[in-house]
Amino acid sequence: MLIISISLQQNYSSNLKFKTSFRNCILEAFKRRLWKETEGDDWDIMWAEKEWIHEVLDHTHLQSNQKINHFRNHYELTRKDLMIKNFKRYKKNLEREGKQEEANNYNFFPLTFHLPSEYPIFVEEFKRQSTNSDTKTAWIMKPIGKSQGKGIFIFNKIQQISQWKNTLRYNQDNPQAEAYIVQKYIADPLLIGGKKFDMRIYLLCTSYQPLTLYLYRTGFARFTHHRYDSEDISNTYVHLTNVAIQKTSDNYDEKLGGKWNLQTLKLYLMTKYGQEKVAETFYNIQMLMIRSLQAVQKIIINDKHCFELYGFDILLDAQLKPWLLEVNASPSMTSNTPVDFELKCGLLDDVFTIIDLEKVLTGNEEQIGGFDLICKGNPIKLPINSTFTTYLGAFNNRQQQLKKIAKSTAIRLAQTYQESQTKAIEIGSKGQKEKEEKDKQMRSSSKGPQVMQNGGNGNNKPNNLTKQNTIIKRNTTNLPALGTVQNKSNIKRQPLQNAGQQQQQNQQSQSNSSKKNNPNEDSMLSANQKLQKLTQESKINQFQPYKQQSQYNEVMGMGVVSRNLQKNEE
Amino acid sequence: MQQLDNQEILMKLKSSKQFWDIKKKIKQGFSDQQKIGVNDIQKFAQSCEIEDQLIKLISHILKKSKKRETLKEDQIEFLNTSKIKWTELLFKNLDIVHQKTKNQEEDDTNTDSKLYIYDEKNLLAFLQTFKQQQSNNLYQNVQFQSNKILNINIPLKSSQSILDKYQYLLLQEELSDEKINKIRKQIENEHLDIELEKIAQTFVPNGERCLLYLKYFEFDHQDTVLQQHFVKLQKECLNQLFYDELLEIDGHEISEDTFYFVFQEQILTCLKCFIRDRTIKENIRIQLQSGIKKEHAEFQLPITGFFPFKNISKYVAPLCYLSTKIHIIYALFKEFFCRYFCFLHAISSESNSILSLCMQIEEIVSTRSPKLFHHLKVIGCDTLKLIIHQLVYCFIGDMDPPHILTIYDQIIGHDSLEILVILCVGFLNKYKSKLLLAKNQENVQQIFSELREDRFQELVQYAYKQ
Repeated sequence: MLIISISLQQNYSSNLKFKTSFRNCILEAFKRRLWKETEGDDWDIMWAEKEWIHEVLDHTHLQSNQKINHFRNHYELTRKDLMIKNFKRYKKNLEREGKQEEANNYNFFPLTFHLPSEYPIFVEEFKRQSTNSDTKTAWIMKPIGKSQGKGIFIFNKIQQISQWKNTLRYNQDNPQAEAYIVQKYIADPLLIGGKKFDMRIYLLCTSYQPLTLYLYRTGFARFTHHRYDSEDISNTYVHLTNVAIQKTSDNYDEKLGGKWNLQTLKLYLMTKYGQEKVAETFYNIQMLMIRSLQAVQKIIINDKHCFELYGFDILLDAQLKPWLLEVNASPSMTSNTPVDFELKCGLLDDVFTIIDLEKVLTGNEEQIGGFDLICKGNPIKLPINSTFTTYLGAFNNRQQQLKKIAKSTAIRLAQTYQESQTKAIEIGSKGQKEKEEKDKQMRSSSKGPQVMQNGGNGNNKPNNLTKQNTIIKRNTTNLPALGTVQNKSNIKRQPLQNAGQQQQQNQQSQSNSSKKNNPNEDSMLSANQKLQKLTQESKINQFQPYKQQSQYNEVMGMGVVSRNLQKNEE
Repeated sequence: MQQLDNQEILMKLKSSKQFWDIKKKIKQGFSDQQKIGVNDIQKFAQSCEIEDQLIKLISHILKKSKKRETLKEDQIEFLNTSKIKWTELLFKNLDIVHQKTKNQEEDDTNTDSKLYIYDEKNLLAFLQTFKQQQSNNLYQNVQFQSNKILNINIPLKSSQSILDKYQYLLLQEELSDEKINKIRKQIENEHLDIELEKIAQTFVPNGERCLLYLKYFEFDHQDTVLQQHFVKLQKECLNQLFYDELLEIDGHEISEDTFYFVFQEQILTCLKCFIRDRTIKENIRIQLQSGIKKEHAEFQLPITGFFPFKNISKYVAPLCYLSTKIHIIYALFKEFFCRYFCFLHAISSESNSILSLCMQIEEIVSTRSPKLFHHLKVIGCDTLKLIIHQLVYCFIGDMDPPHILTIYDQIIGHDSLEILVILCVGFLNKYKSKLLLAKNQENVQQIFSELREDRFQELVQYAYKQ
């Protein structure tokens, strides 16, 4: 009986098709969603390489439902030289408009020159810097358009680049001339365990008009072995660890990839520097990312077909000031450890949820999976009484949050469905037809709760519930180990509940206060246990693969919705 | 003991902030009077407790000038002989380790990565031999009918007093930002041990911990001294020692821990310096092994006077969360080890020693959770065997670093390791229901091999739960 032909229905097809040339986490993430791979042009989503965008996109007409993972001129932000050029220009514009304060915020990139075109200005600046300071300023040369640290070198004497200068590459007229940027080297990076590190943070942009940005809670810190000469290091401390590199140290890199996730990094920083300082730093990182995109907002060609997942490389200096090193348009989705694999698959899965090929979201969601909406037209400010200034590096509760979204979405869809049903009845003629419709309605309403049960709620009043759930609030109830205030709360908050009871207890029986059984205590403990169980579950789930398909479906509620409705159709 | 003369006391007084505060107070008290006699000052001082404060300050200075002697002999003779036996046993182990490393050199394919002189299980097993010996030799008339592994006649604090002492932890409240800032300022300005201890007992804000530790250990103005000392030791590290190899193996294990792998190199450097540090022998509060001189240099105790043991790296690891300067990390580790952690490896009747702590735990568990105690005994997995790892290594690896540092705070706050007794009891209580269902040792192991997260406050709460 194919009576349910609501327009929504078409979009619920689970036959979404994807196309990609990648064979890593991207493929896995697609497969986990049960989407089908296609070689042809009938894809709904394409995860393309950057080159494809440049070569093909301009000559192709996209269907309205098709989504692609890059903006046409993403290089305005992701090519080192253009990024700096755009930042400088935007800063100047702000100054011209008299927005000096905002212009001053564009101080998160080091002094940079484009070579060979700006070579004379650079030499002047180089001389000025070396006469002004006693220690030699180090500079870093990066070839434009190369990634993964290829061709990068550091120097502090102008002679050191003379050799490079004399090669063919320098000659501006030479067609082979390779463009470089030269940047003032950040001399005092924050070292952890004597090691330098940078952070990889993921930002999803779904639209440049209005600027819509989602920030992923989990990222990681990558620890590096120093590549540069001992000469370049004024800090003996760095030098010290350099010598001590043991043969065994190679092993950890294999095992753990030399990475810390952002939560661990935050925990370290909080222990060392205290909460306020770290909260401020992470907020600055978030603002740095928003400002970076604001700077190119008017330059990037907005396209509703496009979205982009950026990988920001950020360095902290010893004062915890964040510096932007680079923005990657195709952050690596290859993993070297199981933890890494789950992180990236989870990340991609959330990206797919946000771009909403199923068209089930309201667009008002503040958090989707591990992503938090940080900008929609304007940067989103968290409530003043919030304990967080940013959710970056906070506990990633994506699994629970997805369940929550699935639930509210299911309820909302059930409601829409019901409404359309009632309309159909009203419009429909009397007699036998009506009877048929009534049967239908009964069946459908019996489906409603089923859909809801999926979210753990068997309530029979979807209408009331829907109102409460249309705007999905951030799930902050379950923030165990890593929230901004959490250290304190972990250690101090719990006893607070207990304290009152303990005091009561003490008053009740002074003689054997600690021995007497308190009826309240059990209930308190069970609550505590529940909380702990929850936290444990969430910890376990955090990066666990979906063991069963059913579990996967449960997590991705939309899939369940579509299947239920399909059943109905049959 | 070295006596200070009046001049020296005055000098030290002047270096403390409290002294100047007192002086200011007196000045304010007499601001409008022109002539001031000694009697007037005395009267005034008595009336507003300034005298008490001064006395406290002076006694504190005198106390500080006293050097704590290293405990060499125990008051119980039996333990002295045991210590010698323990040392002999370790020398035998050293021989075996030597042999193994030699074999390994010849045969590269068979590398045993778990080489160590002793671990916590060896230590417990050795302590267990006491019961038998003591009851046979010394107390034949007294019948020990106990299920406890350790039941030795040593002076012991009542377990109730320990429980009472730490009960205040249950009543800890969440502090407002204002109060935290106040504590911050207090740490910055305070120099008195007693006051610093009080802060450590209640709450140390993140970010100020390093300063508090440094002040407490009186390192706060000695950055260059510490650095020089460390650099000197580092130079000595160029001469390879046999023990370096063991430390490297040990450091490899810490790299398995997500929280600490970053610091592996630093930890190793610290430990290599540690076994070369001559000052440890004088500073350590208790002699761990009774020195027997062996002829061959390779078979001698390190300069520290004791063998490095398995997982010694664990004691350094959490301190890496306090400072980026390696000489600070080293100084803190050295002080923590010489003051506190050494007792966890000491055959002694001291209240902090591993023996006393173990007996306290057995006492509390057997009286407060007899069912669990008995059950564990029946399934052949005694209470102490369960928690010995957590006890000896201060829960490092079982809790996240901030929680470990809270334990360190408590150790400083009470100048005692008794907090570990509370945490071990709490730990057992937390898993009590699961443990009661376990039918054998494998079940028990399974319980602890599951992913778990223990927190300081949580374990304290469990400890007081009946």
